[in-house]
Amino acid sequence: MTEAYAVAVPKGYRVGPWEVRAPIATGAFGSVYEARRHEAGRHETRRTGPHEGLPRSAALKFLPTGTGTPRQLAHLRELTERELELHRRLKRPRLIRMYEALTVDDPDHPELDGATVLVLERAEDSLAGLLARSPHPPHGPALLAQICEGLAQLHDAGWVHGDLKPANVLLMEDGSARLADFNMAAELEGTHAYTPAFSTPDYTPPEMLWSEIGERGRQTRPSADVWAFGVLAHLVLTDTFPLPGGTPSARRDAAVRYARGTDELRLSPGLPDGWREIVRTCLARTHTERISGEELLRQVEAVAGTGRSPRLPRVRVRRGRRTAVVMGAAVAAVAVSVLGYGISTWADGASDDGGGSAGNAGTRSVTAAPYGAADLRTDRGIPSAYRLLIVETAHDCDQGDVTPSLIAAMLKVESNFDPDLSDPDKDEYGIARWTPSVLRWWMHEDGTPGESVPKPPFPPAESIPAMGRYLCWIAPRLDAELPGDRRVLIAAAYRTSYAKVNDAGGVPPKYRSYTDRVVHHLKEYTPPGKK
Amino acid sequence: MYSIIVVPPPTTERDRFRPDAARFRLAPGERLAFGRSESGNELAIAHEGVSRKAGEITAQGTFWTLSNLSSHQTYVVENPEGAGEHIKVAPGRLDAPIPFEFSRIVLPAAGDLLPVEVWAPRHDYLRSPEGLDGTTTAPAFSVDRTKRYFAVLAALCEPRLRGEPHAPLPTVDQVVERLRPNWQAASRTSVQWNIDYLAVKLRLKPGPETADTGPRLNGKKESLVSLALRFDLVREDDLIVLLAPTRREAR
Repeated sequence: MTEAYAVAVPKGYRVGPWEVRAPIATGAFGSVYEARRHEAGRHETRRTGPHEGLPRSAALKFLPTGTGTPRQLAHLRELTERELELHRRLKRPRLIRMYEALTVDDPDHPELDGATVLVLERAEDSLAGLLARSPHPPHGPALLAQICEGLAQLHDAGWVHGDLKPANVLLMEDGSARLADFNMAAELEGTHAYTPAFSTPDYTPPEMLWSEIGERGRQTRPSADVWAFGVLAHLVLTDTFPLPGGTPSARRDAAVRYARGTDELRLSPGLPDGWREIVRTCLARTHTERISGEELLRQVEAVAGTGRSPRLPRVRVRRGRRTAVVMGAAVAAVAVSVLGYGISTWADGASDDGGGSAGNAGTRSVTAAPYGAADLRTDRGIPSAYRLLIVETAHDCDQGDVTPSLIAAMLKVESNFDPDLSDPDKDEYGIARWTPSVLRWWMHEDGTPGESVPKPPFPPAESIPAMGRYLCWIAPRLDAELPGDRRVLIAAAYRTSYAKVNDAGGVPPKYRSYTDRVVHHLKEYTPPGKK
Repeated sequence: MYSIIVVPPPTTERDRFRPDAARFRLAPGERLAFGRSESGNELAIAHEGVSRKAGEITAQGTFWTLSNLSSHQTYVVENPEGAGEHIKVAPGRLDAPIPFEFSRIVLPAAGDLLPVEVWAPRHDYLRSPEGLDGTTTAPAFSVDRTKRYFAVLAALCEPRLRGEPHAPLPTVDQVVERLRPNWQAASRTSVQWNIDYLAVKLRLKPGPETADTGPRLNGKKESLVSLALRFDLVREDDLIVLLAPTRREAR
């Protein structure tokens, strides 16, 4: 260990019941120490977690979040919050466990005062340590299967790890692997999540290398973890990185050339058969072409010769609506890869049991029909093919008024769900009646306009998300004082513009018949008790 | 995934008001040929004094190379913030590497000097004493604290760093005043230029407002400041750049 410790803690230092022993490792943000438990706690720490069932020894991760520390950093608090949040909400067998979280209260040590201390399960080693000692370990495939299982557990629960690499894979006393270090972890909001603008260059997918960064951070997806897994698997199995180059920046340029299509992927000939195809699908050029975490797990388990891991209980957790959608087991059907979405999100209500219960294995089937039944009625003729798209699109928007039933009602009125609608006289096309020159501004997920005006046809998979982005942009621009149902005002603004609606002080008369029809279907599609 | 931006010499009014429209973004490995001839050059420079095939710019990851295809003219590549620092590229020299973050290629064209600007916003800077390492978690931003854009960013962030989290941002004119003691040539245009460059450098996501108004980035300053503060790109002790006299003389 040559690098300086981010947080220096003297041996023998006491935090609650814990006495600090030898240093274990340090990362960019915090440092980890071995610690032993004493029976009597000391008064200068505030305990913020439960106290029973503490082991005799643990790993203490110190994050210097105190106000008196010289390097008081705003982003560090955010990163710490992310890690705490994940540990509090998620316990899974392949994720390292947090026993409790403490805050140091010690004015005599200003550099430690206020630090957040995560009391974590103690590991024997990290994958990085193992690879440094013995490149291509013989049990590499088994370890990879366990890492992949951890990823699948995270993705299943609706989280992205965001920083998968050998140093963040810990090896336990029995030799099994667990994922750790959740500073970059982010909860999915629909198809993507926001992660702080940090990454580990050699494990970052090309689309995120120089991606645009908004005020919430940058967008990530589970496919970013899948890319990192591909790099990690190549490293474990061949002791080389999949992209050529002697320095991180050379490998980064190689990744960019590969992603642009000017270079082919040349995987090491030392990669065992069976793994070649897996690594290749992890390292697909674009995130949409990459394999999903769940399918990856099946393939990795098959090639590694390990047993199939038990099916996981599924949890749906979303921004603004923290409660899981609880469904009876009989309807807990999983919509897998409908319309190109690789994320399956069905709940059976078990959100944070120890994980791994296989009780639900028999109830999964591939039916899209009742998707999002809590938000959108299933018995009113909304074509089932569009349900996932409508529900996901509405959930991608943080404006509470942009609901699945609003989008469905508008699609009904705009086109009667006709994906092939073509109305050249009005210059409107597709299920959402997009005018090409307007669609241009909303066609890209990242908010950038298209390079040129798109040409119809506009398939539903493009039209509906673009409509959601536009509605989501309109919603906060309508004057707060306008009378009437906000959803109806939003629909009117979609037909004309938010400025016209603001100027008219409500729905302009010309658009009343349109909004009347939207109101009718809005009522029809909204489940009882929902807005 | 571009790494180099080429800004042609301003020719029309349109370019002045839509600077984005005229820029070329090159990804690593991409080439941009320039010269008088409309055919065979992506960037045509309509000036009698420029060779028909004058040269080529190639993006090489974070830096770029210049080929001088003219038969007689030496091209000078200046570092506008480098106090006269420059590189000469002789006629016929191919793929000369250019190390500056900002460069101005000056084409000597029958008495006129036509500047082609090239930006290399992906330059990396050392973040920790341990040096370069592809396996360390690193911030996605890399800023050079000695550059003018950093002083502009610091001036924009100053009121909020001094303890008023909701203080209104300084106007461009106030930023000019704030920077003038250290930067004599500061002007509205040069400060605005640096703000535009920061938006490129920090890969600011254009807000949806741009949909209505084209390239105008509403609230660009606001977004820059909130990004910079959120990721600690500027901290209170960095405000020293606003106080200490710079060693460089204004050009």
